[in-house]
Amino acid sequence: MVKIIAKNISKYFKKRNGYVIALDDVSLTVESGARFGILGPSGAGKTTFMRIIAGLEVPTKGELYFDDKLVASNNKIIVPPEDRKIGMVFQTWALYPNLTAFDNIAFPLTNMKLSKEEIRKRVEEIAKILDIGHVLDHYPRELSGGQQQRVALARALVKNPSLLLLDEPFSNLDARMRDSARALVKDVQEKLGVTLIIVSHDPADIFSIADNVGVLVKGKLVQVGRPEDVYNNPVTIEVANLIGEINELEGKVTKEGVIVGNLKFPLDKSYKSERVIVGIRPEDVKFTKDLINDENWILVGKGVVKVIGYQGGMFRITVTPLEGSEDEEIVTYMDHPLKRKEEVLIYVKKGSVKIFET
Amino acid sequence: MRPVIRATLHYLALVVISAIWLIPVYAMLINGFKSNLAVLSTPVLVPPTSFSLSAYHIVFNALERPLLNSLIVVIPTALISTFLGAMGAYFFYTLTYSFSKFLSSLSDFLFSLITLATFIPYQATLIPLTRLVVSMGLLDNYLGIMFAMLIFYIPTGALLMSMFISVVPRSIIEAAKLDGAGDLKIFMKLILPLSLPGFISTLIFIIIEAWNNFFIPLVLVTTPGMRLIPVAVESYTGGYGTIYNETFAAAVIASIIPLAIFIFLGRYFIRGLIALGGGGKGV
Repeated sequence: MVKIIAKNISKYFKKRNGYVIALDDVSLTVESGARFGILGPSGAGKTTFMRIIAGLEVPTKGELYFDDKLVASNNKIIVPPEDRKIGMVFQTWALYPNLTAFDNIAFPLTNMKLSKEEIRKRVEEIAKILDIGHVLDHYPRELSGGQQQRVALARALVKNPSLLLLDEPFSNLDARMRDSARALVKDVQEKLGVTLIIVSHDPADIFSIADNVGVLVKGKLVQVGRPEDVYNNPVTIEVANLIGEINELEGKVTKEGVIVGNLKFPLDKSYKSERVIVGIRPEDVKFTKDLINDENWILVGKGVVKVIGYQGGMFRITVTPLEGSEDEEIVTYMDHPLKRKEEVLIYVKKGSVKIFET
Repeated sequence: MRPVIRATLHYLALVVISAIWLIPVYAMLINGFKSNLAVLSTPVLVPPTSFSLSAYHIVFNALERPLLNSLIVVIPTALISTFLGAMGAYFFYTLTYSFSKFLSSLSDFLFSLITLATFIPYQATLIPLTRLVVSMGLLDNYLGIMFAMLIFYIPTGALLMSMFISVVPRSIIEAAKLDGAGDLKIFMKLILPLSLPGFISTLIFIIIEAWNNFFIPLVLVTTPGMRLIPVAVESYTGGYGTIYNETFAAAVIASIIPLAIFIFLGRYFIRGLIALGGGGKGV
């Protein structure tokens, strides 16, 4: 398996009036056999970064190593994509529409001078692992989305790559299929031990597959870490938002705490700026009518129920502070509904409030 | 406007345009069945009172050889120019997407040059072309005519195929590259099958263009036995007089093959054009 080292990689695209910066000085190491996720909003340069690793794009500046071998540097491809031992699943899967599933999966092997029996054996082996043995004589258009995705995965894995790249591989699947597809990818990766890099804008992909995640925002790698750590200690409100739902409130720093309307959030340290953004995950908020006698939960003030929704067996409750701007909203999920316009007490979990300087 | 009126006007316009196209074809068909006297004495759009096949009979005997000559020259020419044109188009496509800015600009420049070349009138190249063919010893030879036609139709094929190839999703070509396939394999296994409707459209277009090409066979053929069909048909309007019913019959016979190709392969022609707009889904 292979260790990927990116050193100060930048990518500029030429546009009519100047340059567009797609990647800005990205440095990153992915250990051999690791599962690494790249999270970012659309247009952040995720796909560009993955294409540079694959060799489909050349970095304008910086160097890319596979183990200690330089594969691309400063506008030059040194090792072409076909020699990098990469399996890639494209966002659109990019199956060859004129070939059957079998021929699709066999395609990389036909470029390797293997005997027909050897090719058949290896295709059937991988098809069995991915449970597509019964559709090998079908054309891609005759397959369901999930089957197409598994054919694409089989095609990427059949050549025993050192590195598996997944570019938003689940975005074309319906929600029900996604979980099993994610589990499958993780299982297969564990079985084969291949280094894996997955690009996604969906934190669920990252949490279910990756051990480490790098967050790209506007071409910059802003945070790298374990997904839980990034979730709990995001460096900016943008990162916090990318990796999971979060309540965003604009507050004012005072000696007693951060003030948002009539709400007062505790301060853990002092901040330079006066205006800050308070971030709280929905699971760290409770709305009640009565006082809670638990020192883990801190009362921050009173609010009014604004919207009640129902989602996945839970009630999604939106509350605004009793006083102050109507635009400030706090959301949480509860197992029982509240009444609209009802006054409630807002509690937050101790140590869960994230404060971001603007 | 009400939908009914709109649709009626729509169809009326289509009928008028079709009629304008069909009237000459109709005249060509019926006048071949008249006797020479009747062609001269009756209005051109009035059908013959007595059908006579004699004009067709005479003309077919005379045109048998030119028809065969045309087939021998045009079919290989069209196949070769479409195939080589497609290869050329793919070559320029890969250059355009190469990482080197120099190569992609060079490719744009060369391709523009080729495109421009397809607009050069044959007449302007007549003398150098003839001298070239003569010096190759290919005057009055099938190979000579084919060679001259290929000079003009390979760029046409490249130009048309470049439009069809650019519709093939780029990610498919990238996937094949990552799978270790070389450019020839990508072309033969993926590009060609995926742009097949476009390939057939281009083929039909070149067959018809080459079939109707008058100047190249006129100049490069010196003996009557080697004449191609457009030149043979033209010889019916002579300097001293014209036998009209035979001229009409000759015109019908000369257009049968392109017409038949269009009728049988026309749907591929349309499908190819549709593929251009539908993201390559015409397959």
